[in-house]
Amino acid sequence: MLSRVAENLYWMSRYLERAEHTARLLTVKLESMLDQSPEDGEASWRRAVDALFGAEFAPTSPDVASLTQTLGFDLDNPSSLISSLRGARDNARQVREQISTEMWSHLNQMYLQLAPVNLKTSWSDQPAHIFRETLDNLHMFEGIAFSTMRHGEGWHFIQLGRYIERAQLISFLLDLHFGADARARPPAKYPDWLGLLRSCTAFEAYCKVYTANIQPNRVAEFLLFDAEFPHSIRFAVERMDEALTRVAPGAPPHRRAECNRLAGRLRANVDFGQIDELMAGTIDGFLAGVTRQCEQINDAVYAAYIEYDAETVV
Amino acid sequence: MRGVQVPHNAYVTVCGTDLVRDESGAFVVLEDNLRVPSGVSYMLANRDVVRRAFPNMFRNAGVRPIEHYPQELLSTLKSLAPLQSEVSIVVLTPGVFNSAYFEHAFLARQMGGELVEGRDIVINDNYVYARTTSGLKRVDVIYRRIDDDFIDPVAFRPDSTLGVPGLFNAYRAGNVVIANAPGTGIADDKAVYAYVPRLIRYYLSEEPILENVETFLCREPMSCAHVLANLDKLVVKAVGESGGYGMLVGPHATREERETFAERLKADPENYIAQPTIQLSTAPCFIDGQIEPRHVDLRPFVLHGEETVVVPGALTRVALKRGSLVVNSSQGGGSKDTWVLSS
Repeated sequence: MLSRVAENLYWMSRYLERAEHTARLLTVKLESMLDQSPEDGEASWRRAVDALFGAEFAPTSPDVASLTQTLGFDLDNPSSLISSLRGARDNARQVREQISTEMWSHLNQMYLQLAPVNLKTSWSDQPAHIFRETLDNLHMFEGIAFSTMRHGEGWHFIQLGRYIERAQLISFLLDLHFGADARARPPAKYPDWLGLLRSCTAFEAYCKVYTANIQPNRVAEFLLFDAEFPHSIRFAVERMDEALTRVAPGAPPHRRAECNRLAGRLRANVDFGQIDELMAGTIDGFLAGVTRQCEQINDAVYAAYIEYDAETVV
Repeated sequence: MRGVQVPHNAYVTVCGTDLVRDESGAFVVLEDNLRVPSGVSYMLANRDVVRRAFPNMFRNAGVRPIEHYPQELLSTLKSLAPLQSEVSIVVLTPGVFNSAYFEHAFLARQMGGELVEGRDIVINDNYVYARTTSGLKRVDVIYRRIDDDFIDPVAFRPDSTLGVPGLFNAYRAGNVVIANAPGTGIADDKAVYAYVPRLIRYYLSEEPILENVETFLCREPMSCAHVLANLDKLVVKAVGESGGYGMLVGPHATREERETFAERLKADPENYIAQPTIQLSTAPCFIDGQIEPRHVDLRPFVLHGEETVVVPGALTRVALKRGSLVVNSSQGGGSKDTWVLSS
């Protein structure tokens, strides 16, 4: 597979995962706002904003309407939902002949439907509705991709992109709830933990494992270490590791070595991590480690398969 | 290109000459397209649509198939690298912003070749490679859909970001085949066109089978004077343009348009040729619920490698505006499925 094609598929997938994360977070926040006191609601919005912008880029006025506009529909904001969808579509467009026609038309339609929407047209209606719909569309895209595209090398680059992005996004979200900054604030309440679980579509799955008895430790353990839940860090890391063994089938072992080593190392960390140790105070470092190692894997993939020096390979 | 040996002497691997029928019903050559003729995907797509829409008509008409065009193109391209046991073929495209990108992707997919952009290609020691995830992969034949000037910024236009630095050297070293050969674009020049019948007689000692449209070269003073005196009857074209740009259709132009064009012509006569306005033949078209005549021309595709192959079909281009003679799709022209019958 051409390196450029692999890169486009990888980024299409990362952008889609980001869009899904943003759409879900906005849906959850807008829907749960109705159940919270104004003060609690504001704190929880604050976290959502930090999760989507990164703390240093977050706007200062936490006015819900304008935040929804910025996070959802603002094309000038690179982390908005619509920007992520545009990024995914731009990448898909470069490799239209590599993905199935069904994938392209669904993605294209999804973008074109959302592009003309802004707060004025959607707010009076029911703001969460449009995000819920986009979320459904994104889930549908995953199904369409699964059943219409050949599960060859390109498919594995798509998986790689999705799960690297997911591991980073969840790790960031967990840091906002369990990291040093969160511990310095007044303790989070039941609706916050519920919100966290729902932001990862994890509420029902959590209840199946731990019952509806929501404990912070268990929430953290579930989202970090559950091996069977698609939005846990461990699940994402394992899929990432598997995808890496399947991409670039013709590359000689020495070129695969660094990617495989890094992925194996991260996988060992999450496979053998222990929640009580983390909750005793090392969780910040652990989560930062996940993010950093994902970045290293991204760089190693570029160096081995995408932007390698031609001289070294001839 | 001096001293460069081209396999099978096939400079023009894909040729898409435009033919029209004159008043007497005879086919004549309107224009040559030897650089990167496009439109073959329309030929195939039109057939696909019409066959689905009128299956019954098809069954009884005995229409000869054209679906094997991509295979024929593939074997023609393979025949250009006769020494390789396994020939690696790529289609070189300028990218998604090119108006014919659909066709580039379509042909690559149908042939099973890789669709590459300039940045996917690496030249090392005068050999050509595609950058893949598994490493560098040798490229033997490039079906290029980029204009001559842009294929190599080292050899030609230095501002080209679409091309591959060093490609022309690899080509001259004989390590890669480029189809159509660099330089073939010179034959698309409308002044060269005027000389083609004479070239055929001189180099091949043969009579041309298809005549040219009568052409006046404005570089010749007598012809130029004739053209200026008869602007209202002639079609004047800039020699290096295509796609229906830079031309004046005298009988359809206003007085002001003719006067402005005459000034441009006088300032640079060498840049223009003129032809009598041919009333292109018409074909019935279904326009707004009615059958109406529209002017058409015909572009058959000729493949030339070890052998010469013509699939029994062509792209018929249609000027959709009533009375218009401009069939180019970039100017709003349409196209039609074209049948060659088996009996």
